[in-house]
Amino acid sequence: MSEGEPPTRLNDLDARLRRLRERTPSEDEADVGPGLPSRSAAGFAFRVGVELLAALMVGGGIGWLLDRWFGTLPLFLLIFFFLGAGAGLLNVFRAAKEMNRND
Amino acid sequence: MSAGPSPLEQFAIKRLVDIHIGGLDVSITNSSVFMLLAIALITIFLTLGMRQQAMVPGRWQSMVELSYEFVAKMVRDNVGSEGMRYFPFVFTLFMFILFCNLLGMVPFSFTVTSHIIVTFAMAIVVFLGVTIIGFIRHGTHFLKLFVPDGVPIFLLPLLVVIELLSYLTRPISLSVRLFANMMAGHTMLKVFGGFVVALGILAGWAPLAFVVALTGLEIGIAILQAYVFAILSCIYLNDAINLHH
Repeated sequence: MSEGEPPTRLNDLDARLRRLRERTPSEDEADVGPGLPSRSAAGFAFRVGVELLAALMVGGGIGWLLDRWFGTLPLFLLIFFFLGAGAGLLNVFRAAKEMNRND
Repeated sequence: MSAGPSPLEQFAIKRLVDIHIGGLDVSITNSSVFMLLAIALITIFLTLGMRQQAMVPGRWQSMVELSYEFVAKMVRDNVGSEGMRYFPFVFTLFMFILFCNLLGMVPFSFTVTSHIIVTFAMAIVVFLGVTIIGFIRHGTHFLKLFVPDGVPIFLLPLLVVIELLSYLTRPISLSVRLFANMMAGHTMLKVFGGFVVALGILAGWAPLAFVVALTGLEIGIAILQAYVFAILSCIYLNDAINLHH
């Protein structure tokens, strides 16, 4: 034991932790910004597909329900189908922006 | 034509204990058994892992602390420190999906998250919860989320409807993403497993190697999808709390 204690002693763990914490900026004020794991292109492509499909489903579904209430069958279905497509593109656009920010 | 069982058979719900209460079918199925199993495993994992509360954590304890830190950082980064109030919910969601996904990778087990009704139920809870939180915190100001700024007035009605539709899409895309990933992966595993048997000892090696690689990929997807579900919940929460896209 002439070389003293090994450097990783428990007693000074607190002090070392404090030193480390001072060096790294605290995470509390980390800027708010989503960090999606869209690193892989395939994962992103899948996400785009799901976004488009879901928006079309929601748009078509709402249109169909409105038509069923008012008895105007193809009218609202057509309108909301295209609105749904618009919403899907908006979602894809946002997802792409998110992905760009991550890179 | 095909003699073997269908690759979709693994998703069949089987009643294990028949329970009917007033016309409601609340039977214990293989799905609910695996949900309970996941909850039991999470409880064991967390409580027994933290049993010693050592200052220098052992392997098990550091896994527990790692999962806690991971989700805590995710909530702090994406929602801000104010979002930490909802940390318990996000942590529960993440652990439940993670354990359900990983349990599904055990041979002969049942994958709870491969059913859209399960993922949709979780997604709609997130969606309704986030919407309610938004209205409680901001009142009618929350509706500003649907009004994009800097838009000519004659385009506004159209864009508000599109924004509204895009908002309503969230529970669907959230649930479809998890469900489709799990279902597609498990079906693919079964199909290629069938190829191994069909091609026999001569050519069965190629699909076997593929299945091995696919199994590794599927475990990665199981973890990744739990993460995606949790982080998207955080992002939606961020929209409701801080009111910006």
